[in-house]
Amino acid sequence: MTQIPLNILRIVFLVFLQALVVSRLQVLDGFILPWVYIFAILMLPFETPKWLVLVIAFVVGYVMDLFSGPMGMHMTACTVLGWLQPMVQRILSPREGYEVNQEPTIQKQGLRWYLTYAGILTFCHHFILFFAETLRFTPFFYQLGHILFSAMATVVLMVIGQYLISVQKGRG
Amino acid sequence: MKNIIELIKRHFVFILFVILFIFSGAVLFSSNRYQRAAFLQQSSDWVGKIYGWRDELQRYLRLKEINDQLALENATLRAGMPDNFFVLDTSVGQKEDTLRRQRYSYRSARVVNASVNRENNYLTLDRGLFGGIRPNMGVISNGSVVGVVSSVSDNFAVVLPILNSKFQESVKMKGSGDFGLIAWPPGSDPAYADVRDIPKHVQVNIGDTVLTTGFGSHFPNDLLIGYISEINDQPEENFHRIKILLSTDFRKLSYVQVVSDIFKEEQDSLLNQQRIHDDTDTP
Repeated sequence: MTQIPLNILRIVFLVFLQALVVSRLQVLDGFILPWVYIFAILMLPFETPKWLVLVIAFVVGYVMDLFSGPMGMHMTACTVLGWLQPMVQRILSPREGYEVNQEPTIQKQGLRWYLTYAGILTFCHHFILFFAETLRFTPFFYQLGHILFSAMATVVLMVIGQYLISVQKGRG
Repeated sequence: MKNIIELIKRHFVFILFVILFIFSGAVLFSSNRYQRAAFLQQSSDWVGKIYGWRDELQRYLRLKEINDQLALENATLRAGMPDNFFVLDTSVGQKEDTLRRQRYSYRSARVVNASVNRENNYLTLDRGLFGGIRPNMGVISNGSVVGVVSSVSDNFAVVLPILNSKFQESVKMKGSGDFGLIAWPPGSDPAYADVRDIPKHVQVNIGDTVLTTGFGSHFPNDLLIGYISEINDQPEENFHRIKILLSTDFRKLSYVQVVSDIFKEEQDSLLNQQRIHDDTDTP
C-alpha cells in the first residue's frame, strides 16, 4: 500500500518540477521543450485500474494547464495519454503477463521495453500537446522536429531520472 | 435496458475517455489566451501564489546580479540625462515649389547667451557649422530682424545683433521706400536704434514702419525692423535724425531663426565677376 502515497508524492513533485523549473528552460529558443511531468503517469503501477489512470491523467493535465498558458492543452493531451497508457502496457506485455506488484521501470522491464513504452506514449502526448498549442502544422518540418526532439528530450530525461533514483536506492 | 447497462459497464473506460476528451477539447477551443472560464479561474489564485514564492526565491538568489544591474542602469540613466547632451539640431525649414524658387531657408536656433547693455553686444546660438549655420546669415525672431551671424564654430554661432556698432544694414521706409542706414549708438537703450541717411525731403512721421531692403542679402525683403518713435531734425543737416523703436525685444530673446540666402553665392560671384571685368578693362 506504500505505492499510493509514493505515486501521489511523485505526481506532486513532478508537476512542480515541470512548472517551476523545466518549463522555464529555453533550449534553442524553446525548440526543445520537454514535458517531464508525464513521467508520473507513465510510472503508475500495472495494477492501477484503467479508469483511475484516465482520471489521474486528466487531473494532472488540468493542474498543468493552470500553470501554463491556455486551458485545455494539457487536459486533452493527458486524457489521451491516460487512455493509451494501459493499452500500450497491454500490447507490450510479455507472454506470461506482468508480475505482481511491478512498476514500469527500466530495472524491472529492461531498457528496450522502457524506451518503446515511453517513446510511444511520449510521442503521442507531445504530438497532441503541440498541436493543441498551435492548432496548425504550417511550418511542417519545424513542427515535426519540435515534437520529435522535445519527445526525445523528455524520454532521455526520464531515463536519466530513473538511473539517478536507482543509484540512490542502491546506496541506501 | 440490462444490455445497455452491460454495454456501459464493458466500455466504461472508453466512454469516460470520450467524455473527458470532449470536455477538454471544448475547454481548449472555447478558452482563449486572455480569458479563462470562471470555474477554472478560481484555482489559479494559488497557482499565482506558488509562482509568487518561486519569484521571491529567485529574486533573493539573484540579489547580487540585480544590484549590479541596477547600478549599471543608474549609470546609464545618469549618462542619459538631458543635461549631458548637446542637442545637434539639423532641421531646415524648406518648401518645394516648381513655379517659384525658394530663395531663403530658415533654421531655428536657441539663444544660449546674450548681452544687451554692453558697448557692443553679441548673441550666442546653439547651432553652428554642424547645424548648417554659416557666417553672414541673417538672424530673425518673430519676423523681425535680430542680427547677422558673425562667426561660427562647430556647434555654436555668434551673432552680431542690431545692438552692436559694427552692425550695418540698409533699411527703407514702408510706403515711400526711401533707403537709410540703421545704427545703434554704442551703450544706448537696447530698445531703440537710429536711422540715418534719409534725406529731409522725404516725409516721415512718428509711428512709420521701417523695413529691410534685402540689398545686403542677409535678410529677405520687407522684414520688420521697428517703428519711428522720435524725429530730432537739426536745421543744419540734410538728413533726418530718426529714432526707431526696435520690434525685437532683445532682453527676452530665446528662440531665433537663422536665414540663409540660397542665391547669395550666385549673386556675389556675379558681382565679383563684374568687378574683375571692370578692373581689367580700365588701364
